[in-house]
Amino acid sequence: MTIDTITKKEFSDMIRVAAHRLEKNAKFVNSLNVFPVPDGDTGTNMSLTVQSGFKSVNESEADTVGRLGKALAKGLLMGARGNSGVITSQLFRGFSKSIEAKDDLTAADLAKAFDDGVKTAYKAVMKPVEGTILTVAKYGANSAMDATKSSEDVAVIMQAAVKGAKVGLAKTPSLLPVLKEVGVVDSGGQGLVFIYEGFLEALTGEVSSESEEYTPDEGEMDEMVNATHHQSVQGQFTNEDIKNGYCTEMMVELGQNPTSDETFDNDTMRDYLDTIGDSLIVVSDDEVVKVHVHTNYPRKVWEEGRKFGSLVKVKIDNMRIQHETIVDGDETAPAATAVATKSSEPVDYAVIAVSSGEGLSDLYKSLGVTNIISGGQTMNPSTNDIVDAINSSNAKRAIVLPNNGNIVMAAKQAAGLVDIPVAIVPTKTISQGMTAMLSFNPEADIDENQENMEDSLDTVKSGQVTQAIRNTSIDGLEITKGHFMGIVDGKIEVDDKDIVKTTEEMLDKMIDEDSEVITILVGKDGNDQDAQTISDYLSDKYEDLETEIHQGDQPVYPYLVAVE
Amino acid sequence: MAITINTKHGQIDISNSTVSSIVGGAASDIYGIVGMASKNQLRDGMNTILNREDFSRGVVIHQEDDKLAVDVYIIVGYGIKISEVAKNLKEKVKYNLETMLGTPAGTVNVYVQGIKVLDDIK
Repeated sequence: MTIDTITKKEFSDMIRVAAHRLEKNAKFVNSLNVFPVPDGDTGTNMSLTVQSGFKSVNESEADTVGRLGKALAKGLLMGARGNSGVITSQLFRGFSKSIEAKDDLTAADLAKAFDDGVKTAYKAVMKPVEGTILTVAKYGANSAMDATKSSEDVAVIMQAAVKGAKVGLAKTPSLLPVLKEVGVVDSGGQGLVFIYEGFLEALTGEVSSESEEYTPDEGEMDEMVNATHHQSVQGQFTNEDIKNGYCTEMMVELGQNPTSDETFDNDTMRDYLDTIGDSLIVVSDDEVVKVHVHTNYPRKVWEEGRKFGSLVKVKIDNMRIQHETIVDGDETAPAATAVATKSSEPVDYAVIAVSSGEGLSDLYKSLGVTNIISGGQTMNPSTNDIVDAINSSNAKRAIVLPNNGNIVMAAKQAAGLVDIPVAIVPTKTISQGMTAMLSFNPEADIDENQENMEDSLDTVKSGQVTQAIRNTSIDGLEITKGHFMGIVDGKIEVDDKDIVKTTEEMLDKMIDEDSEVITILVGKDGNDQDAQTISDYLSDKYEDLETEIHQGDQPVYPYLVAVE
Repeated sequence: MAITINTKHGQIDISNSTVSSIVGGAASDIYGIVGMASKNQLRDGMNTILNREDFSRGVVIHQEDDKLAVDVYIIVGYGIKISEVAKNLKEKVKYNLETMLGTPAGTVNVYVQGIKVLDDIK
């Protein structure tokens, strides 16, 4: 089959597949990184750069390939990271300049764009170092240009570019001594080959080279779904703009059950759903298929899923009513997801807290937190999740409460990756986060807030009650599997088989003459009756203390307490 | 001022121009830097791009609490993420100084003295 033009759709597919291919192989690229500084981050940097390009393409409303190329170049420029990322952004700056007036691309346009990209990239450096991405791009472009003499099929041109790039990559060790020394090909060059292979894969549907087929994992499926949804919701300001009113998602576990009567095929399902909606994503692996579609017929979507297995999760939002969830299936999000309220008006402050459990989220919101990233003890959100939350908050400045010692670093990294001022208040527990919120002043500037919030952390002691999962001995304390542990500010202080007793003993250790208020947050595995028992115990024993009980719904910890 | 490294066999003095060359060499490896600029714009004129042998005029070396502090004056190509280029340069300068001289660089300050518009391909 000949493909003679690249339209807007193919172009954005190319970028998407390339971004995923690179991301999937980022670790491998990292492992090759020896030039200019051998710090093993080339793959990560390039991948983040290309992700940023894809995001920009994905959110673009461009109606021609040329304008889409412009969006790509802008995204790459904004997101460029590391030497490799800067070169990549410059390559595609030249590429997009070359195609900016085109509606669609022919084979000749594509080859010329590669060539122009290389020319632009070679100009922006004092002394072009051969044996790097530049070399690989040059070989790829030359090979693509040669191919235009004999073919007008864009897939053939892309194939030639991949082939040429691989030849260039194989030459890198002989051009750059440091590579030969280590016995590797150039990492950035390898990254570019992955990008080109992704382009080819998008055009032909075949995976080039010996790598296994790409199947997105759960988290990636979610990201794709969110990105597509975001893209189509953006820019629709009035209800009249919305053609397909229901944002419909489902997850189907493929396989035998009373209703599954057909063998699943990704393309067949996609083709059918394409006829009843837009913003369509169908991603699948051997076990599950995830679907996101905007349609006026949600029932048809679910009926389609039902044919191939059992529906494990369905969700429908009426987009004409601001995000009102009507049905929401099980709540186990496979990855940390940011619940963001995208307002069209930029807000002044975003306060972002990491927390899990609906009750805690509500409590945080009542204290003035604007965005919750769900996560915490058992699933730490990544730097990227935090960056996304900051970016989607649409705020001029942001304060982040990690609420967990393991997330503080990720939050600090995220702060460096966004364009607005961000303050990280290093809260290690849920209780500290809440105390910090009491010192938050929306009128104050960000530094002042950070200082005040950080200072307030000394005034609270955090206690956590949870069940021991194995026998151990820590800090001279014997811990028995199945018993409950009382943890005060990260240190295990109490071990007892009775949960109420554990909590009471722990509180006794926390309370001193300065204590005034005690807050008990009841988790998923805690209950109100026990919480009341604990509260009564406290009021009997300590006269002047105030005790508050709140529903936190947090997992893992039946009770969280704060002593202030 | 020069850098002095004391070893048990005696001392090694490394001249500023040597350090400047090392720093300049680092800059030429970094993508997006189209030249070194003179730190002394009044004397050398605005945004003069220095030749390789004059790199030392675009680098200032001074001592800061027993550590080496380096100021680098660069010119960047138009349409490139300047902040990232500067960051890459800092990393490379630190890495070069540590591997070639064995002296940890304390601070590396990057001054972007100008942007050169590279004629785009038409």
